[in-house]
Amino acid sequence: MTTHQLTEERPTDEHVMEHVQIEMPFGLLGFETIKDYYLISDPEEKPFMWLQMKGEETEAQSFLVVSPFVIHQGYSPEFSDEEMDSIGIESPDDVLLFNIVTIHSKDLASVNLKGPIVINKRLLKGKQVVPINALDYRVDHPLPTDSNIF
Amino acid sequence: MLVLSRKTNESIIIDGEIEIKVIKVDGGVTKLGIIAPPQIPIYRQEIYREIQNNNQKAIIKGKPNKGSLPKIPRLDMETKENQI
Repeated sequence: MTTHQLTEERPTDEHVMEHVQIEMPFGLLGFETIKDYYLISDPEEKPFMWLQMKGEETEAQSFLVVSPFVIHQGYSPEFSDEEMDSIGIESPDDVLLFNIVTIHSKDLASVNLKGPIVINKRLLKGKQVVPINALDYRVDHPLPTDSNIF
Repeated sequence: MLVLSRKTNESIIIDGEIEIKVIKVDGGVTKLGIIAPPQIPIYRQEIYREIQNNNQKAIIKGKPNKGSLPKIPRLDMETKENQI
């Protein structure tokens, strides 16, 4: 598996699952020992993506992730400089932000806005960060329904 | 559990490189100062547990296949800043 450089441009009519290798030096909260992931995207599934644990296990495990700004347009988590330094982020242009989706049932899902995943798209390193203003957000922010998203 | 008594401005050292100091005790609130190497993540316990529990609930077994997305509303809004 080669590592791809993240770019702003991509063909929109190609239905290709794209795999990008992401290193999470600190793991995710509760999964500290698992540090290697693939970020898997399919244009058809936008704005969702998959964060799949890279491992030797027979059964792969994944998180469904989503761009938070389609869920909560005023979402503005604040991060400390120390957190940003820990994955080498030098400017806001380096940052890619995703949040983990929890599926409760076929029609009910929520998004964790309290523990976003920050990815340094230049170095392909990521971290689940608790923002300074974490108390403003829920781990189970409801995923909006068709009727109230626009 | 190891239990130690500390006064204001006294601290404890863990493993030679983590120092936790009592900055202020006021009523039921104790303010702690922590000095630790940057690779040691530090969280408030209740927030850590909440996110840990949520992560465990969010795990999906199996490789994601195209079309395996659950039936939740399509969110087709463009998010240029988050495209890869």
